[in-house]
Amino acid sequence: MPGCYFIGAGLHTALGRGTAENLATLQGGFTAPSMALAHYAGRTQALPYRTLRDAAPSGSDSAGELSRLDAVLDYTLGTALEQAGLTPAERARTGLFLGTSAFDIGVSEAEYREQLQAHPTAIPLDRQPSASLGQFALRMRSRHGIRGPDFSFNTACTASANALMHADAMVRSGRLAHAVVVGVETFNAITALGFQGLQLLSPDNMKPFDRNRNGLVLGEACAALVLGTQPRRAGSFFLRGSANLCDTHSMSAANPDGSTVSLVIRRALQSASLAPRDITALKAHGTASLLNDEAEAAGMRQVFDIMPPVCALKPWLGHTLGACGLNELLLFCAAAEQGLLIGTPGIALDSDLGVQLNQGPTPLPTGNFMLNFFGFGGNNTSLIVANAA
Amino acid sequence: MSAQVYASGECHLPTTDPPLDLKPLVKETTGEAVRRIGRFIQLALIGAGRCAKAAAVPPDTAVYFASGRGDFETTVEVMATLFRDGGAPKPLSFVNTVSNAACYYVARTLKLQSRSNFVCNRNLAFESVLQLALVEVESGAAASALVGSVDAVTMPLAEHRRRVHLPADAPLAEGSHWLWIGPARDDRPRLGEVLAVEQFSDAASLLAWIATQQLDAGNCAFSAGQFLDADAAQGLRTQAGLTQVFDYRAGRGHYSSQSGAAIAEFLASAPPGARLLHVNADPADCFSAMLVSR
Repeated sequence: MPGCYFIGAGLHTALGRGTAENLATLQGGFTAPSMALAHYAGRTQALPYRTLRDAAPSGSDSAGELSRLDAVLDYTLGTALEQAGLTPAERARTGLFLGTSAFDIGVSEAEYREQLQAHPTAIPLDRQPSASLGQFALRMRSRHGIRGPDFSFNTACTASANALMHADAMVRSGRLAHAVVVGVETFNAITALGFQGLQLLSPDNMKPFDRNRNGLVLGEACAALVLGTQPRRAGSFFLRGSANLCDTHSMSAANPDGSTVSLVIRRALQSASLAPRDITALKAHGTASLLNDEAEAAGMRQVFDIMPPVCALKPWLGHTLGACGLNELLLFCAAAEQGLLIGTPGIALDSDLGVQLNQGPTPLPTGNFMLNFFGFGGNNTSLIVANAA
Repeated sequence: MSAQVYASGECHLPTTDPPLDLKPLVKETTGEAVRRIGRFIQLALIGAGRCAKAAAVPPDTAVYFASGRGDFETTVEVMATLFRDGGAPKPLSFVNTVSNAACYYVARTLKLQSRSNFVCNRNLAFESVLQLALVEVESGAAASALVGSVDAVTMPLAEHRRRVHLPADAPLAEGSHWLWIGPARDDRPRLGEVLAVEQFSDAASLLAWIATQQLDAGNCAFSAGQFLDADAAQGLRTQAGLTQVFDYRAGRGHYSSQSGAAIAEFLASAPPGARLLHVNADPADCFSAMLVSR
C-alpha cells in the first residue's frame, strides 16, 4: 500500500494569507473580532466575526461575492498546487475533496436579494447555472485544471476533516496518485443568523474550556492541502490514523457523558496503532459552547490518564465550521514544524471540565498529534498526524 | 478488490401534484412516526429502511449518503423566511440545512453506531459515494456500509422545474436508492457483488480500463447513466464490445441521482452470473464506471 504525505499547502484565515503570516500574527496576541454585516429583507445586522484578513469585504452584490470567493480559492488552491509541484498532466488526474458547510451560499444569498429587489415574487435558488451543491466543486476543477473525481463533503464542522480522511484513503488505495483537499467557509447571513438563533454566539473572544466560556465567534477561512505518495522532504507530515463516528445522541451536540467522543478518539488511536501515551499533543475542537466543551472534556478524560498538552485554535481563527478541519490542521502543523505548540492565553481552568489549555507557545518535539472535530448531525472525527520518521 | 451486496432498498416516486404524503411510508418502513423532518430526510429513511428490512443490518454498519442537489426544501425555506419575510432561521430548520442531518436520522432510526458521511456530486452522486464506501470496506475501516442517494422535489412544482431548468411539462420524480455492501461472509445471503467503481478523466482512459475487465458480451449488459449523451453511450458500448442494453430509465421522471436504481434493478432481475457495466458522465466530459455481478 502506498504512503500518503502532505506535499503542498495554501492557507488564508483571519490571521492572514500564507502560513508564515498566520504564525507571525499569532505572536501579536489576541485582537477583538471584527464585525460582519448580514443584509436581509431591507435590514442590516452586525455580528462579531473573524473575517478573512486582506480579502475584499463581503456584503457586495452577487458578482462581487463570487469574485471574492474565486479570489480566495484561487490563492489557496493555486499555492498548494504550486508548492506540490504538480505538472499539468498530474493535476488532470488529481482528485478534489472539498469540505464545506455553506458552499457558495453567500453568492446565492446575494442573487436572491437582488432578484427580490427587482421582483418581490422571486424564488430562492432561481436562475443559476445549476442549483446543485456539486456545482461549486466543478467550478474549482475547471479553474485549476483538475480532471480527477470530485467529492463535496457536507458534514457540518467535520466536513474538511472527513474530506482529508477519504482523500488519504483514496491515495493509499492506489486509485489516485494525488488528491487536493479544500476546506472553505465564507460569511453568509443564514449561517450567522442561524447560530445567533441557536444562542451559541459570544459577543467577545472565545474561551474554550474556561469556567466563563460563553459561546463561539464564527470565522472565515480557506485552506488547501495536496496529498501525494512521495514526501516532499524528510519529516513531512502524514495522516497516521483517523476515525469517524455518527453520534445519535443529539442533532446539535455530542453526548455530554463523553462516551461517543472517547469512542472516536479510541478508534483513531487504534487505526494509528498507538496508545494514548503516544500522543505528543492534542488540538481540541474547543467551541467554547457549554455542551461541546463538556462532552469533549469528558471524552478526553476517559481516554487519557495523563492529559497530553492541549491547544485550541478557534479563539484565534473563529469557528470556521466545515473548513476548520483543514485550516486548524495546517496552522497546527506549521507551528509544529517550527517546534512550537500554539498557546491560548487567558483561559481560566474550569475544574468541572479538567482541561487546561496550553497558555503560551511552548516547545514541541516531533511526534504524533491528535486533532478532534465534532459537528452537527452527530458527526465526530478524530485525526492523528505525525511528522516522526 | 470488491464488496458483496447483501440487500437493496428503493423508493421511486413519480411526482404528483400535490406530491404523495410520505409520513405513512416512513412509519410503515421504520415503525416510527419521525416528526419534524422534510421530504429529503423522509425519502432517506424510506429507502434505507427498506434496505435494512430486507436483511438484518448490524449496528456496526456505516452510513454513506449522497445527493445530486441536496436538501433543496430546507434551504429554500430558510432563504425565503430570511430574505423575503425578514424572519431569522428557525433553529431546527437551520440545523437541518446540514445535509448529514439525514445520516443522523438514518443511523438513529436503524440503531447504527458506525461512520457516517454525506457527499455531494452534481452528476455522479451515487457513483461517488459508492466508490468512497467501497474503499472503506476494502480497507476494513468500515465493517459494512449502507450506501444511498436521495433527490427530492420542492413545492410548488413549477418553481422546482425552473430551478432545475426543466420545461413546464417535464415529468418529475423522486428517488431514494440504497445498497448494503460489505466484505464476503459465508453466513449472509447476497444479491450480488460490486466488482469495481472507478472514475476517469477522459473517454480514452475509461476505454483502456474496460479493455482490462475481460467483459463477455454474452453475460454482460451495458447501462447508460442519465448524464451520458445517447450517442456517446452507443459509441462506448460498441467499443466495449457489449450488445445487451439494460434500460432502467424508461418512464422515469427527472431527478438527479438515478444510478443507484440501475444497480438495484439489475440485481433484482438479472440471472445469476450476469454482469452490468454502468457508465455515466459529468459536464467536464469525465466518466464513471460501475461494474457489478448478480
